[in-house]
Amino acid sequence: MLDILIGGAILGAIFTLVSIGLNLQYGVTRILNIAHGDFMVLGAYLTYVFVQSLSLSPLAAMVIGAPLVFLLGVIIQLAIFRWLVRLSKSAEELEFRSLLACFGLSFIIQNVLYQIFGPYPIGNPCLDQAINVMGQPCRLNMIVAAGISIAISLALYFLLRYTRIGLIMRATVEEPTGAQIVGINIYKVHALSFGLGAFLSALAGSLWSTIYLDIYPYSGATFTFIALTIIVLGGMGSFMGSLAGGFILGYLYYITYKFEPLLHMAVVYIFLLIMLIVRPKGLFGR
Amino acid sequence: MNEKQELWKSLLGFLALIAVLTGAPYLLNNIYYLNVLRDVIFWVALSVSWYLFSGLTKYVALGSAAFFGLGLYFTAKVLNYWPVLPFPVVVILAGLLNFTIALAVGLISLRLKGIYFAIVTFGIAEIVKVIFDWWEIRITGTLGTYLPIFSDITTYYSILTTSLTSLVLVTLLRRSKFGLALRMIGESEETAAHTGVNTSLYKTIGFAISAACIGLVGASCITISPYTNTRIAFGSRYSFYPAVMTLLGGAGTPYGPVIGASALSLINEYLSVAFPQVFQIILGALLIIIVLVMPNGIMGIVEKFKTLGSREGEKKKED
Repeated sequence: MLDILIGGAILGAIFTLVSIGLNLQYGVTRILNIAHGDFMVLGAYLTYVFVQSLSLSPLAAMVIGAPLVFLLGVIIQLAIFRWLVRLSKSAEELEFRSLLACFGLSFIIQNVLYQIFGPYPIGNPCLDQAINVMGQPCRLNMIVAAGISIAISLALYFLLRYTRIGLIMRATVEEPTGAQIVGINIYKVHALSFGLGAFLSALAGSLWSTIYLDIYPYSGATFTFIALTIIVLGGMGSFMGSLAGGFILGYLYYITYKFEPLLHMAVVYIFLLIMLIVRPKGLFGR
Repeated sequence: MNEKQELWKSLLGFLALIAVLTGAPYLLNNIYYLNVLRDVIFWVALSVSWYLFSGLTKYVALGSAAFFGLGLYFTAKVLNYWPVLPFPVVVILAGLLNFTIALAVGLISLRLKGIYFAIVTFGIAEIVKVIFDWWEIRITGTLGTYLPIFSDITTYYSILTTSLTSLVLVTLLRRSKFGLALRMIGESEETAAHTGVNTSLYKTIGFAISAACIGLVGASCITISPYTNTRIAFGSRYSFYPAVMTLLGGAGTPYGPVIGASALSLINEYLSVAFPQVFQIILGALLIIIVLVMPNGIMGIVEKFKTLGSREGEKKKED
């Protein structure tokens, strides 16, 4: 019982970070980035490259890799999604076209990674030792990853809440036209948010790869669906929703994994379906 | 009168096409080209079946793999456990099974719109796959299924038969009142509802028929290889390729899926032997290009040139 309590909480903290990048991207730019999981995988692979070539610790390597993914995110936003926003006549058209573009991105990232690294799973093992938490053996790297996830999530919360950039982002979400009138370049804000979302995904992917050594070029879709379930559960664009959704799914995932490891993804999907049909706004949605 | 003449013309063309395709094994006299032709027919059938629902109503379904795999797996299992049943009967049963399941899936998922519908259908395909995985590992204790071996000619004819059946069914439906209702839903669902179209009924049945056709084609695919497993049968390419092929060809016309599927499956054939990953990368890039530059696909560009070419068209446009 205690192991479920602790394991679920740790997983929940990590899941929160997994979902937060996608939530930020969707919240600010209104583009549902289905390639989110692939950005995570990309981050993990970049960390892997730096660990292998510079023999750094994974925790240091991800600090180099994630900014590169940030740049990629900004470039993709400017090259693709900015044009899509201009070309699309209605919100539905934009949603649909950006969905397809994201699938395209996902294909490209997955297969480029496959072409370079091959089909074998990789990982960046780090701090792989057991410690005692309330008499319960726990893996140190999981606790470190959960701690970092919480720290990053809180940092993002403060960024959005109390800084000028956060204010600008929130203004862009609330009133895109009004924000432009008061002199905000919303295209810059969109590019920045998309990049920031990609950056957070890369960190999440790298942290995941320090715990589980099962990242391979095609594992992006799984992460995308976990993240999607969390933000649908919590409410799209809601920070607290991401937090609550992350923990709920963390427990759900941990429990099903414990009793029937083969069905854990089915449970995630079924949960997503039920949420979409019963309450598409999510728990914290407006 | 004019309309009738056109109908006869297209009917004659269709019969000629059937004759050529039926005679193809003897005309080509080459197993490799026959298999390439088979793949083209197969993808055209899948894309056109997908187009019947998603192209007309603009509800983009990304779960074809579920129905394709269900058809294939059902047929494979039945042929293994009750070999007395003749193959064609099993294929028809697979189509009916898909129809029923898709009715249920449609009832649940068609309450959603736009990207939510796309996500839900994609999720359903994954759920079905995971459940079959679980069933195989936990209950039967086997991975995949072995199947009887068929000759290339038999494979060609069985896939040709199911594909043509689907194509004829789809074409007839598209031209009927039913197809008109689906197209109306695609243009504006509210208007359709106001004019007395029972939109949810039409959507659900359209979705089920499209799924049944996909399942029918999937069922005939057990003749291709003597072994199948969940990764082959429920591969997500069966969800994505029909959508990409239709969009490449142009989702606005019935010729779009035919052209897109032929083009992409030939490119796939050319690349897949040496560089399967390169094909996927091209597919991804193509998706982005379609979305950015040619939202109406190849047919959209053709139409544009047609109207540019003739001054009459230009004038008509101005009027």
